[in-house]
Amino acid sequence: MRTDIIQKKVEETVLSSYEAMYRLAYAYVRNEADALDIVQESSYKAIKNASSVKREAHIKTWLWRIVMNTALDFIRKNQREIAVESFYENGKEDCYPDFDMLQALQILTQQEKTVVALRFFEDLKLKEIAAVLGENTNTVKTILYRSLRKLKAALEPTEGA
Amino acid sequence: MNEEIITKLKEEYENIKTPANLRQKVEAGIQQAKKERSDSMNEKRKSNVMVYLGRTAGIAAAALLLITVMANSGAGIAHAMSKIPVIGTIAEIVTFRHYENSENNMDADIKIPEVSVKNEDGTVNEETTHKINKSIQEYTDAIIAQYEADVAAAGDSEGHMNVSLDYSVITDSEHLFSIRFDELLIMASGTQMVKIYHIDKQTGELIGLSGLFKDGVDYITPISENIKQQMKTQMAADESVSYFLDSDVPEWDFQGITADTTFYVNENGKLVIVFNEYEVAPGYMGSVEFEIPTEVVQDLVQEGFLQ
Repeated sequence: MRTDIIQKKVEETVLSSYEAMYRLAYAYVRNEADALDIVQESSYKAIKNASSVKREAHIKTWLWRIVMNTALDFIRKNQREIAVESFYENGKEDCYPDFDMLQALQILTQQEKTVVALRFFEDLKLKEIAAVLGENTNTVKTILYRSLRKLKAALEPTEGA
Repeated sequence: MNEEIITKLKEEYENIKTPANLRQKVEAGIQQAKKERSDSMNEKRKSNVMVYLGRTAGIAAAALLLITVMANSGAGIAHAMSKIPVIGTIAEIVTFRHYENSENNMDADIKIPEVSVKNEDGTVNEETTHKINKSIQEYTDAIIAQYEADVAAAGDSEGHMNVSLDYSVITDSEHLFSIRFDELLIMASGTQMVKIYHIDKQTGELIGLSGLFKDGVDYITPISENIKQQMKTQMAADESVSYFLDSDVPEWDFQGITADTTFYVNENGKLVIVFNEYEVAPGYMGSVEFEIPTEVVQDLVQEGFLQ
């Protein structure tokens, strides 16, 4: 009986958050077809494993975690193509006048991307992000500061000019 | 500057267009999961009934159950039924325990079966029964101890861990009874582990890979070579497939199987070698399996195990 209730709650959460799930997936893979696949797979996993959620309050964090893991799995499986591209993007000498802002996220590691997206775009608390990543709050803080430094270095208009 | 960056980034992030078929995809995912859940629930319900009746060993055990019932209902019938042949040993899962724990966002769900092995004459084969249950217990105790240590280490802070262990009877043929354990450990990422126990139904012994083969033959080399060949073929055919073979770190490379390598016999009577995650391939490949063509070990295998 309880499982049924949780499953229903999970389903409601998925149906009310799929657009946010899509945006996070898109931030990782940056193309529509792959992001769609990741969201579909995440929805599937969420319902399939709904019974493993013990408390209703955990559903949202758990769902983020599924999206993150699914996206990372996806990237790992398609590593070769993506890796080569981002390797060159790690160069730091350029300044980008018309820089695609979201493209800037690509200089971050997957974990840094997750933290930035959840903290600033989805307004999660540090503690919640820690739960998604399976890290402690201090680690999340460190990752966040590091990510901001990287982004700033990459986007500062005077950089390299 | 920071805030400016964040504001701009956030703006673009919120402007990510969601495709028109997004909701449809989400619903498809949900429907598929629901369907599979209800399928597996039906199966579970069925198998509960089986456990309750003690009939997991299939036809042979069902015959045995019949004998017991009939024997109680009249001497004449008991005499007639005693002629039903029961072939070899009967192994079955008689009961199971459940270890469930959940605290601080860490949880464990571990099912521990108890197996009973009976001799041809219906008496319990104490030795094998004891041996297999002891081995299962040691295995599950180790998992539980690790979980409890992790919970203790996490203290008051919220941990994030999920351990589950489930089992299934994967083979119950004339010759072999095999019970498979699947352990799934989810921390930051998941780890999949497989352990399988086999009982030779002719002898009632708990056996490993060598138990399938004739005494003293080298089955390790032909199987290992066949697996290497399969790895190469798969890697050549599909770029996303990768095994530790001819890699940059030769000491990590797959050298060969051992007598302790996990295996099972599939429904086609073929030997299948199972490797845990990370054992022979990078983590994203998960746990991997190789079906060995019976020709490879044709002359080495004991009669009856493989087809």
